[in-house]
This record gives sequence, C-alpha cells and structure tokens, in this order.
Amino acid sequence: MGPLPITEPVLLILLSLAQQPRHGYAILQDTKEMSGGRVRLSTGTLYGALGRLLEGRWIERFKEEDSPRGRQAYRLTSLGRRILQMEVSRMKELTRVAGLRVVRKEI
Amino acid sequence: MLTLHRSLLHLYPAAYRCEYGEEMLAVLSEVQAELGRQSVFRRVVSGVHEAGGLLYGALQEHLRSITGFYGSAMFSPRRFTMRSEFRFPKATVTLMTIIFVAILVAMDRAKAIQESIPYANPHVGPVRSINFTVLPSLLLVLAGAGVAGAIGWAAVFALRRSGVQRLSEIGPADNRRSGGQLTI
Repeated sequence: MGPLPITEPVLLILLSLAQQPRHGYAILQDTKEMSGGRVRLSTGTLYGALGRLLEGRWIERFKEEDSPRGRQAYRLTSLGRRILQMEVSRMKELTRVAGLRVVRKEI
Repeated sequence: MLTLHRSLLHLYPAAYRCEYGEEMLAVLSEVQAELGRQSVFRRVVSGVHEAGGLLYGALQEHLRSITGFYGSAMFSPRRFTMRSEFRFPKATVTLMTIIFVAILVAMDRAKAIQESIPYANPHVGPVRSINFTVLPSLLLVLAGAGVAGAIGWAAVFALRRSGVQRLSEIGPADNRRSGGQLTI
C-alpha cells in the first residue's frame, strides 16, 4: 500500500530537497518559486513540517561544511526519496484518469 | 518586526529552541532582509504571516511535548476520514425515541399505580415516589454518559500512547516495511 496523499507544502519541500540539499531559507525560496508564488511558507510552518519529516526519517539534517557559519541543511533520505517517487506516481495516475474523464465529458 | 519574531520564538519549548532557535532566527533575518526592498504594506502582511506561523508552530510543539503527537496530526482531517465509514442508522434513532417515550409512559403509569394503592401496612412507612422531572433526569443521564465517555477516551488515549512509544523504537528498516506512512 502506498503512502497517504501528502499536503502541497510538504510535497514542495520534498521536491525542493529532491534536487539538492538545502537550508531553511533556500527551501522557503524554492517552494515559493516552484508554486509560482502561490505557496508562501512561514518559518514556523516550515520548521513544523521539517520536524515531522525528520521524525518520520523522510529527511535528515546535517551541518553544511562549505558555509561560513556551519549552518544546518536538510536532505532527503532514501526512504523519503522512495515515498516521493510513489507520491509522484500516484499523482501521475490520478492526472491520467482525470484527463481521460475530462476529455470524455467534453466530447 | 524581527524583535517581535524573536520574542515569539520564546513561546517554543526550551529544548526545541535550543535545537532550532538560532536556525529559525537566521531564516527570519533573511526573510526580513528580503522584505526590506518591498512596500510597507507587504512587509506588514509578511510580518503578520510569520508571526502567525510562529504562534501555530509553538502551539504544535507544546502539544507534541505533552501528548507525543504533532497538533496537526491530532486534528488532521485524515483522522476523521477513518470515521466516514461509520453510519448512524436512522432506524436506531426511531427505536431510541420509542424506548425513551415508553420509559416516560412507564414512569407515569408506575406513579399512578403507587398513588392508587392505599397505605395498608402500619409497620412499613409510606412509600414516597422520587419526584424526578424529565429535564433533571435527562441532565443526569447526559452527565453520566459524559463521565463514561471521558473514562473511555482516557483508556483509548493511554493505549494509543503506549502504542506510539513502542513504534518509536522501530528503526528505519521497519518503517520502510510499513510503507513509511506519516501524517502531515
């Protein structure tokens, strides 16, 4: 059985980290960019979601070596990547079915 | 605005502040720096948005530290989808109404019978009926049901807590096996 549908902000966070590891502010910027400015996460919401993802071991936290202050960054774990792939497949299938239904209705 | 956000960070549990406080403050500073180039209205809106997020986040973390669950997980609509399969049959409502009316009629009849029988035994005192009216009786039943419900909920909550404590000991391999489901 696949994972339950996840919320859009969390999906955007996972997609952001799927590309490369990022720190908090970079995740905020990337999610805003990916959603075309529609999803604007607040810092509190971002860290709430990151906490839950860390707890579920979907992501992990590490110290960035090349940053001057050695700030913390986040990356997907193999579990997180697998779940993200499953979620994307689920959405693809849903979109395929939705497309078929909508086209049939229009004809 | 950053001062307000910094003070709101103090609403988080101390342990959480130690772990993420500096990092969150750095992010808030970067957000503020970015907003510096925008209009006052935009800055105020964003400041309120950030403040709301911090308040909500602090509440969530406190709930988590008390209950072991994230607030959003506790009140997630997904929890209620589990109950959507439950249907309260309309026939049950009818049946319960009939039973309730029957009890009221029986009480009324019993009272009439008790009043119609004359007191005959001098060794036993007069049998007095307890004068229960409908409203106090209903309130009494509701209060009893409330107490029973609270006890039941406490038992279920205690069982759930112990279940989560057991699950927290499961490693990533087990988590993967179970599909790695997470309530977000």
